[in-house]
Amino acid sequence: MPHISYDNKEIAFKLVYCGPGLSGKTTNLARLHTMLAEHVRSKMISLDTAEERTLFFDFCPIEIGTIEGYRVRFNMYTVPGQIYYEASRRLILDGADGVVFVADSQRDRIDDNIISFELMQENLRSYHIDVPDFPLVLQYNKRDCAEALPIGTLEAHLHLANIDVFEAVATEGVGVMETVRCVCRRMVNRFQID
Amino acid sequence: MMVATRRRNIVVNGDLNAVSLKEHLGALVKTSGALTALLITKEGHGIAEAGDTSYLNTTAMAALVAGMFSATREVARMVGEQQFSILLQQGETRHIHISLVTNSAMMIVIFEDYQRIGRVRHEAKKMGELVGQVLAKGTDKAKVSEELSVPEFKEYALNLIDRIFAMK
Ligand SMILES: Nc1nc2c(ncn2[C@@H]2O[C@H](COP(=O)(O)OP(=O)(O)OP(=O)(O)O)[C@@H](O)[C@H]2O)c(=O)[nH]1
Ligand SMILES: [Mg+2]
Repeated sequence: MPHISYDNKEIAFKLVYCGPGLSGKTTNLARLHTMLAEHVRSKMISLDTAEERTLFFDFCPIEIGTIEGYRVRFNMYTVPGQIYYEASRRLILDGADGVVFVADSQRDRIDDNIISFELMQENLRSYHIDVPDFPLVLQYNKRDCAEALPIGTLEAHLHLANIDVFEAVATEGVGVMETVRCVCRRMVNRFQID
Repeated sequence: MMVATRRRNIVVNGDLNAVSLKEHLGALVKTSGALTALLITKEGHGIAEAGDTSYLNTTAMAALVAGMFSATREVARMVGEQQFSILLQQGETRHIHISLVTNSAMMIVIFEDYQRIGRVRHEAKKMGELVGQVLAKGTDKAKVSEELSVPEFKEYALNLIDRIFAMK
């Protein structure tokens, strides 16, 4: 449920980028940030290690405009992908209105993708987020790598029948906008007050 | 104009909602001599703010403090506590007092004179109870739905999304 504040005159959705370590979650958000017009974005905050691995989260609020006096915002987060940071990941998924799962298309990452997806599903369930009708989008990132996983591989393994799927090369900004637009539209389509 | 604002401040039949959250926070800033007060959810969204916010990115502040608080709560559980209800950060010239007002909301008070910590703590506790009562009533959404039609909101929002996340 998006956050609605009468006092602050604001409606805010929470979008979280999930996926295995190094799949390109931070790159997606960073590219999105640079591609957006100045007036909609604020500074991106990254809580990361010296090696630029996400330690807690990246955060970037995007204000799309004002509707009937209410500022409408998407608060974008990435989680740390490394298995080790499971506790932090769970905290950040709390209250998510939508999720982008950034998969790594390199063949040897297939198991990491599957494990990461299953852990994410468990976390969402622990917050009573029912996965089938939840705004969840699957992005196959790193399509520029040699012998990328064929589209459909993860859907088959994870029994995802009707999921929205996008191909991306986040480092070049390819597929970044398409992915975020789709998940934001789905979050808005589910919007209701109460 | 005067009449309208005045009337909003009158507590009718003990109805706490006659005083908004913003006004409660404003009162807290005054009585404690603080710089700024913010009310945020545990998911990191802002609910209300008062005092000087010109020096502060309140959106980022809300996200970071919520992260901090949730991490601290996990740490509390590890040592057998439900949670730590207050977090205090002491700086060189500015200090932050963070307290839990309900299970899902926290209040942030930023102040400058550390001598005032007793006052801040006392006022934050007092105001936290009032704010908690207002939040418990959860009338925000009813008020918003009076001002906002859902179908129109969706139509406008989808339009904005298509414009802003357009492929270049
Ligand atoms: N070739 C290629 N490299 C990419 C692509 N997207 C990201 N990378 C690279 O992959 C590495 C990891 O990217 P990040 O965005 O930091 O990955 P992450 O998912 O945030 O990683 P964690 O924070 O550890 O979970 C970086 O060196 C990126 O430049 C892509 O589409 N193609
Ligand atoms: Mg990262």
